[in-house]
Amino acid sequence: MDMTHDDVSTVDVPDAVATRPERSARSGRGPIIVAQTGVIILALLVWWCASAMLPAGIVPGPLDTFGTLVALTTTVPFWGAVAETVWSFGVSLVLCIVIGVPLGLAIGSSRIATQSTRLVFDFLRTIPPIAILPLVLLVFGPTFEMVVVVVALGAIWPILIQAVYAAGQGEALLKDMAASFRIPRAWYVTRIFLPGALPFVMTGVRVGTTVCLLLTITAELLGGAPGVGAEIAEAQVALDNPQMYAYVMVAAILGLLVNLGFWAVQRRLLHWHASNRTGTAS
Amino acid sequence: MRTIRSHWLGPVALEMWLPLVLVATWWFVSAGSTSVYFPPLSSIFASFARDWLNPAQLDRNLLPSLQLIGAGYALAVVSGIVCGVLLGLVDTLEQATRPLLEVLRAIPGVALLPIFIVLFGIDAQMKVLLIAFGSFWPVLLNTVDGVRGVEPLLRDVSRVFRVGPWRRLAQIILPGASPQIFAGARTALAISLIIMVVAETVGGNGGIGYFLLNAQRSFAISSMWGAILALGILGYLLNILFRIVERSVLRWHRLQQSRLESSR
Repeated sequence: MDMTHDDVSTVDVPDAVATRPERSARSGRGPIIVAQTGVIILALLVWWCASAMLPAGIVPGPLDTFGTLVALTTTVPFWGAVAETVWSFGVSLVLCIVIGVPLGLAIGSSRIATQSTRLVFDFLRTIPPIAILPLVLLVFGPTFEMVVVVVALGAIWPILIQAVYAAGQGEALLKDMAASFRIPRAWYVTRIFLPGALPFVMTGVRVGTTVCLLLTITAELLGGAPGVGAEIAEAQVALDNPQMYAYVMVAAILGLLVNLGFWAVQRRLLHWHASNRTGTAS
Repeated sequence: MRTIRSHWLGPVALEMWLPLVLVATWWFVSAGSTSVYFPPLSSIFASFARDWLNPAQLDRNLLPSLQLIGAGYALAVVSGIVCGVLLGLVDTLEQATRPLLEVLRAIPGVALLPIFIVLFGIDAQMKVLLIAFGSFWPVLLNTVDGVRGVEPLLRDVSRVFRVGPWRRLAQIILPGASPQIFAGARTALAISLIIMVVAETVGGNGGIGYFLLNAQRSFAISSMWGAILALGILGYLLNILFRIVERSVLRWHRLQQSRLESSR
């Protein structure tokens, strides 16, 4: 089958991601932390050199940027912007999951539905979500609704398509066993079907989460809806480079927190799965 | 579950009916539309044909986009694979740089647009670099994981038989990691399309993003829809192209593997 092949390749990604923390825990931690700190200090030095060598003001140095960032954290607009971004991101992500996962699982459970929707989904997912931004912007203006519509329309596809694929991944043996033991339908769904699909669903959700944040910041940056993205644009217009760098850094920190949060959720939900058990990863 | 006839017409009809029904529905529902934002599909098709099927227009509307994404994406894939192989092979290096890479990767590529404008100006060079930077990370991280996931036995055997480092790289490590490298490259393709559109909205080099912004500013809604359609088709075609390349490369890989097995 065409579609399954291309999604198979994305499926093994979370396994590798999930084993990462164990790997570093296994070998001695001390020297690695020193090396890691060293690399970060080196990067900051490179940044500092760049800022010192370029004409003044083009690249604010790390101290300048961190100073601005710390000063910003005492202001109300800063937390307002962060809250707007987090809220838009969260609402869009929940929308995508709540619609995408059940719909995808339902479609994936039927071969006919899967094949009928394949071309449509394949086409819709390849439209860069940013393409509809101008249109949505005209309809809604630079608002929270605009951001949610753009982000949800863009980020739902990886989640939906992976859920379609996940529905077909239950072990055939378990399915046959459930049928021969006449296990009630509800039992089959909650105990066999859903747990079997969950690891694959999570892969889609992980990609969807990254896309959600990227699109939230983009919609704010280009569309002017309130949030971290709009603050970056504003600092750019005001030629306030330290502030611009500080807000880009905030975007990076948000990205980092989202990644960490996702790992935590995945470990909790999939603690029984092979990829999270020690000793199985190579 | 109903079994599907093995005749080829069955599957094709099954895949085609929904898209056709949707387009037909859109056509008829929007036929008398007077809404400013949702023009009739017929006029969207008309502006699509005018802006995107006319060779004279393509030079300005499409060609710059293709050049940008071609250069940026190629740069991201090549540098991602090179750095990824390096980090995948040298464990200490990978562990030492991991926190830094996680931070850099977490920066949404589009957020760097203002910084890149200050650093590199607004011409094509900046856009290529921005596309490359944004789509570099999925290739890099997947290559690292792919290289580390190469069958340890194969690595050991090749070491025992003193296979030279270059041959080992070309015949064992890269093929072994290629499925995962392709997974990363696929994500990178989607990201580079997004960044391409965003980057084109600055400066006046033409391209789809520039066209889209202009259409929005001049309130040319049909042209805007036409451009969205064009972007969808471009994305779809690029994906098909990607799939063809992936198929042929991984087929070679599969053949290689089966030959390895049969010669054992």
